[in-house]
Amino acid sequence: MLVLDRIAKRYGPVTAVRNVTLQVRRGECLGLLGPNGAGKSTTIGMMVGWIKPDSGTVLLDGSPPDRTETRRLLGVAPQALSLYEELTARENLRFFGQLYDLRGEPLRERMAWCLKLAGLEDRADDRVQTYSGGMKRRLNIAVALIHQPKLLLLDEPTVGVDPQSRNHIFDWIEQLQSQGMTIVYTTHYMEEAQRLCDRVAIIDHGELLAIDPVPELLARHGGLSVIVGQIEHVPADMDLPGAVTDAGWRLEAAEPFESLTQLTHRGVRFRSVQIAGPDLETVFLKLTGRGLRD
Amino acid sequence: MKLWYLAVKDLRLLLRDRMGAFFVIGFPVLLGLFFGVIFRGPAAGGGSSAKIDIVVVDQDATPQSQRLFAELQNNGSLRVDTADAEQARRSVRRGERAGMIVIPAGFGAAAGLPWEPQPEIQIGVDPSKGAEGAMLEGMLMQAVATLVGERFQNPKEFLSSLDRAQQSLASADDVSPATRLLVATFLQQVQRVIQAADELQTSRDGQEHRQHFQLNLANIRKIDIIDDAAPSSLAGQLQKVRSPWDISFPQAMMWGIMGCVAGFSMSIARERSRGTLLRLRAAPLSKSQILIGKALACFLACLLVMFMMTVLGVALGMHPLSFAKLAAAGLATSFCFVGIMMTMAVLGKTEESVAGTGWAANIVMAMFGGGMVPVMFMPGFVQTLSRFSPIYWSIRGIEGAIWRDFSWSELLPAVAVLVLIGLMGTGVGAFVLHRHRD
Repeated sequence: MLVLDRIAKRYGPVTAVRNVTLQVRRGECLGLLGPNGAGKSTTIGMMVGWIKPDSGTVLLDGSPPDRTETRRLLGVAPQALSLYEELTARENLRFFGQLYDLRGEPLRERMAWCLKLAGLEDRADDRVQTYSGGMKRRLNIAVALIHQPKLLLLDEPTVGVDPQSRNHIFDWIEQLQSQGMTIVYTTHYMEEAQRLCDRVAIIDHGELLAIDPVPELLARHGGLSVIVGQIEHVPADMDLPGAVTDAGWRLEAAEPFESLTQLTHRGVRFRSVQIAGPDLETVFLKLTGRGLRD
Repeated sequence: MKLWYLAVKDLRLLLRDRMGAFFVIGFPVLLGLFFGVIFRGPAAGGGSSAKIDIVVVDQDATPQSQRLFAELQNNGSLRVDTADAEQARRSVRRGERAGMIVIPAGFGAAAGLPWEPQPEIQIGVDPSKGAEGAMLEGMLMQAVATLVGERFQNPKEFLSSLDRAQQSLASADDVSPATRLLVATFLQQVQRVIQAADELQTSRDGQEHRQHFQLNLANIRKIDIIDDAAPSSLAGQLQKVRSPWDISFPQAMMWGIMGCVAGFSMSIARERSRGTLLRLRAAPLSKSQILIGKALACFLACLLVMFMMTVLGVALGMHPLSFAKLAAAGLATSFCFVGIMMTMAVLGKTEESVAGTGWAANIVMAMFGGGMVPVMFMPGFVQTLSRFSPIYWSIRGIEGAIWRDFSWSELLPAVAVLVLIGLMGTGVGAFVLHRHRD
């Protein structure tokens, strides 16, 4: 659906995006994961046509995104709240709907759908400036959906949102996914990417480091699982694998359950055990040498 | 249609912003009223509150002095009271009256008779009201002239004056015989003419039918001097002003329009800072459409301001000489300031920088262009400078329609300059917006 072919963008001496090539498949949710300043928003900007790449091409259903007709396929929820705060939710939705040539009954139906989705039916005629941060964020996404886009671009949609609204947004995205909408989701929260995205592209310093489904990323770049526990008894003749410190016992293993079963059969008894599998944080750490929140 | 939606959205945002709406609607109304009250006086056109307060000291107390007092009272531009000399002087010194007139003893006996020594009529004026003083002097001369004219139209009074003059001449020791003879002969000739004319007033059928004596030694009549005064002079311009609102409302309209310019020029920066510009640019709109939408909103707001101020001005007593020309001037002014708005809008990236630049430019334009003090009251070199301000051309066009009585060809230069500025501003705004780095 969306093809980025070796796109690059420089701002003076700073390379914001460096030869990124990726494809977004119809109906999938692709996550762009990277720390702040990694180049995610610039990439989104080029996907939408806000930013012209210095080199490379962006094609949405075979057309450049800066063409008027192509833009009708896109819905964008920018990272910054992009709403007219002096207007009501209904007025915001009506205005943006009108820009996409929605009129009359179809517009009213879409407005009602968006208000319901955002849970703002009761506050539809209140000015946005009176809303909480979570309500504004929900409306920010709802406005992007007013014209039923084929591709939804969500740029850090949960920044500054309370846990309740965050879950609300996650539920939405899963609902939209189940309806077959294609979604590009940028975030620096690995939990979000891990929960919502079919594939995750890891970006740092403007470079695409990896793009794969989450399990494959974990398998390829995540390393071993870590078992941490408190030992109650070790047979005298046994050489316990791993490291024992004051804090307890620690063992890295590719198959943690199998390793624990074998140790139990050999007479090792545990007071407590915790298994931590590899996650995208680990993947990112391994690919970039630094954490997502560094 | 999208342009219309963009414009309606911007107008709605403007009206929802109380401060912005105040500068567009409330502020110009207040300014119009404030300056209108200030301009009452020289430009009042005879309204009761525009009268010059004076006090008259009648030291003569003759029918002629009372007639002069009545004549002054009948002048629609004066409010006249009487007092003794000391009270009059005190009231002028305290600023309670603009001036005082002292009619001296002997005025009635001598006024209008050239052979009689003329007693001195004194005028005292509050030094801070020089313009009123000059006007008062003129009005006094007019009143005296009317009085003299009336005296000559009464044959009996005039003949009695001639008798007194002849007696006085006969008893005068300091007049040479040749002069005495010349003046006496002249007076006798005048006496004969007056008597003959008086007899002619009897009708042919023998009925006594006195008609007005029409000697008209001094035929004084009021004339329209508007065309006589140099049109560019302050006096010439003020003579055309029929109401203080004629001056104050064109100025006030400009402040409303400047409020629109300031408000809308910030709106692009505001859209940028709030992120709504990104959303607009993600919509099926071109950059030009976004800019034209802003321009349309600003244009409509400017027209709204002009319409509102015109309605209010007319309600207060402003009577535009040509609504068609006012509409033409209004359209050109609105277009001009839309162009200025579009240039200002792209000069700064933040709301603060655009607001600062915008109001600074507005103040300078207003200062030199007649938005604060009417250009006609400015020194000559500033009047020349004012031609570089679009405000000057706007006010000139609007005043041309309201009270300057411009013909279409006289209005054309102002309209042409305004349209040209509008085109240039629009071009610069569009060019810079398209060159903005993403």
